[in-house]
Amino acid sequence: MKITIKYFSWVRVKIQKSHELFEFSDEMTFLNLKNELINKNSFFDEIFKDRSIKFFLNLKEITDENISLNDGDEIALLPPVTGG
Amino acid sequence: MIKITKEDFNLEEEFKKIHSKKNGAYSFFLGTVRQDIDDNINGIFLECYEDLACNQLNKIKKDSTQKWNLSDCTIIHRIGDLKISEKIVLVITAAPHRSDCIEACEYIIDTLKANVALWKFHIKGKEKEPVNQKKKDLDKYLSWSQVIS
Repeated sequence: MKITIKYFSWVRVKIQKSHELFEFSDEMTFLNLKNELINKNSFFDEIFKDRSIKFFLNLKEITDENISLNDGDEIALLPPVTGG
Repeated sequence: MIKITKEDFNLEEEFKKIHSKKNGAYSFFLGTVRQDIDDNINGIFLECYEDLACNQLNKIKKDSTQKWNLSDCTIIHRIGDLKISEKIVLVITAAPHRSDCIEACEYIIDTLKANVALWKFHIKGKEKEPVNQKKKDLDKYLSWSQVIS
């Protein structure tokens, strides 16, 4: 299962890439994904502890961490916005 | 019309597009790149998650049109590198009467600033520094929650 993670603002600057493709063998929820990412890179621990960051799955805000993920899904990590 | 673009826009042209005989009032908000005295910047860079931002702007347009009975609404937001004094964002609301379009225009820009997937960076020399969200912008947005639920 392939999941694309998109990074924006200071998160993109810190991780030095705008997006990343991860491949997982098993079906998983968003909560599983968080744990997998933290195991891969401790940077994600900081991200997931930051309560100002919002997480979107295929353009919809994630409100339930137990939501199932599917092959080809796109998850975006969004720091507080500053447009206008 | 909703547009996210790297290109500049012309105020008169945008007004002509929204102008109609049924409207008796238009309200405009134009945001430009400010030269802060204590912040020595060369310009700003605007990053956008375009698919999400378009959805969010369309929802803002729909909500404000319903609430204030707008006949039309234009929201244009620039992205990319912008120099001092360049135009960033334009909101035009059109309605039969002025109070509706003035209030709707304020709602749209307040909501956009706190709730649309756009991020500002200050350009200082070769560096681009992310700008932090201001509490007053968030408070302004939250204050609308009693008006639009």
